[in-house]
Amino acid sequence: MPDKAKPELRRSVTPWGSFSWGYSDVGADIFVGLGLVLAAAAGASNVAFLFAGIVYVCIGLAYTELAATYPVAGGGQYFVLRGLGDIFGFVAGWAVLLDFTIDVTLFAWTCVDYSSQLLPILAASHYPWVHFLVTLGLIVGLCVLNVIGVRESTAFNGFVSALDVLSESAILCLGFLFAFRPELLVHNMQMHWPSAYELMLGISLAIISFVGLESISQAAQETQRPASIIPRTSVALILTILIFALAYSNLALGMQPWHPILDAHGHVMQFWQIFPNNQDNQGKAVALLASQVPYYGAFAAFYVPILGAILLLISSNSGVFGSSRIAYAMSSGSLLPSIFQRVHAKFRTPAISIIAFCFVAVVELIFAALPSLDPGAKNIYARFFRGESGLDFLADLYAFGAATSYSFVFIALIALRMVDPLSPRKFKIPFNIPITVRGERAEFPIIGVVGFFGIFAILIFTLFTHPIGRIAGPTWILCGLVFYLIYRARKKLPLFRSQKRDWRKQQVEILRNAGELELMDEYIANVKASDERETRART
Amino acid sequence: MKNAALYTRGVLAAIMVVLGVVILVRVLPSAPTGGMAILPGVVLGGAMIALGVHRISLIVRVRRLQ
Repeated sequence: MPDKAKPELRRSVTPWGSFSWGYSDVGADIFVGLGLVLAAAAGASNVAFLFAGIVYVCIGLAYTELAATYPVAGGGQYFVLRGLGDIFGFVAGWAVLLDFTIDVTLFAWTCVDYSSQLLPILAASHYPWVHFLVTLGLIVGLCVLNVIGVRESTAFNGFVSALDVLSESAILCLGFLFAFRPELLVHNMQMHWPSAYELMLGISLAIISFVGLESISQAAQETQRPASIIPRTSVALILTILIFALAYSNLALGMQPWHPILDAHGHVMQFWQIFPNNQDNQGKAVALLASQVPYYGAFAAFYVPILGAILLLISSNSGVFGSSRIAYAMSSGSLLPSIFQRVHAKFRTPAISIIAFCFVAVVELIFAALPSLDPGAKNIYARFFRGESGLDFLADLYAFGAATSYSFVFIALIALRMVDPLSPRKFKIPFNIPITVRGERAEFPIIGVVGFFGIFAILIFTLFTHPIGRIAGPTWILCGLVFYLIYRARKKLPLFRSQKRDWRKQQVEILRNAGELELMDEYIANVKASDERETRART
Repeated sequence: MKNAALYTRGVLAAIMVVLGVVILVRVLPSAPTGGMAILPGVVLGGAMIALGVHRISLIVRVRRLQ
């Protein structure tokens, strides 16, 4: 009987497709993050984005190197599994899963917020039940679409990404040309500098504008010659996202609004001052900023909410799709039960995974919406969680999941440089110290260490400043660990140690499947030379 | 057609470099009063120049391969 070939993803994503894939995932984050950071960090919002942005550049470079070296869809959890072992791979993957489920809820929530700019009946503060039901409807709708196998096409992703890059560039160019006052920016930074606590809160929220780098590794699995393509597109993606985040925050602080903004007493307000204590405005910050750009704002006020809502919906969908894919990868690595690999007989989709994680997303939505739906819950949130809003609740968990998984990815990057120096790295993070590990030449990544301390600081800030995040985040990880240990015990797999795997054979297969035949030959030659050195050393 | 797309991308990259320079030129005069407050603006300008130059270098490489 002939061997049944395992179905594989077709490698048909072009460089632009790879860029737009990442952009539609990470690019939407600024639509959510800008308002939250302006509300928290006030005059230091751009500094918060700068700090998180520098960490993000390090993370982006780490993902680029790892995805080009190991072009598989598992992403962070695969790198950590390979570098640090099964249990850490599980924790990283479980944190990524938390982020993906939050992704679904948070982006569906803000998609409704952006829509409320044109349809006031969707405003969360005035019509909480309508907002909740529409968000719920979006999540359920995305779940059904994914179960029956309908996905947005790469071409559609590319079109929306191109439109958004053009639109954001236009907003920023015209904003900097006609509305930006550098002296106002300096004034705001000096007069409205936040407390240390608020700055930490702002930084921990700013990192959510840079979440979604898993898409780099997911694109790597479906890109021809990923080792060559991924570094090119990733560097452009990283810089584009960084520029947008820094540009928006600088512009928001130094912006002379087109139309005067007045508070309840008729006093003139600055643009960034419309965000603190206003959940509705926080959820649609980019649309509000665009509408205040002189002249262009009249046009932008109509299309930016629609474009933002579409981009956010795509991002929400990538959460549904991504969570099922990560669960599938974790299940293949015996980190999760095989039920998550089960494919629907008719639709050929991982229906159980999709439904399970959409259910988690709905639970998160209920917790997020509770304070606005029920006065009793509002009192509890006010008493124990400093009155955090629904958006804050989701942002808390998003920041926690990202900071946890990224911390592990940095450690995995360093570990893989030490334990797997033979894999050819077509892209390598700059600034390395040459060292020798077990007779092999390796390079210690300084940026990996800098990035780790940066993201670990953000994790500490998150735990310190987010009352819900510091409880719900670690609880998610602990519940996952218990689940993992029970599963491994039932399967008679090592609980705290790793399963034996033939990484060398797997690496050859990965490179062959990726079409990186030169790298595969180089790897095989490296392995052979290493074995010969080892044999000579023994004799 | 391919060349036209390449030239368009080249022009966009050049515009990005120019915009980065414009931001630096507008932000840097505030240095005496603003001090470190201008840092995010400087990084923004620098990142725009870096991205523009990165794109131009890729386009030049593709042109050489053609």
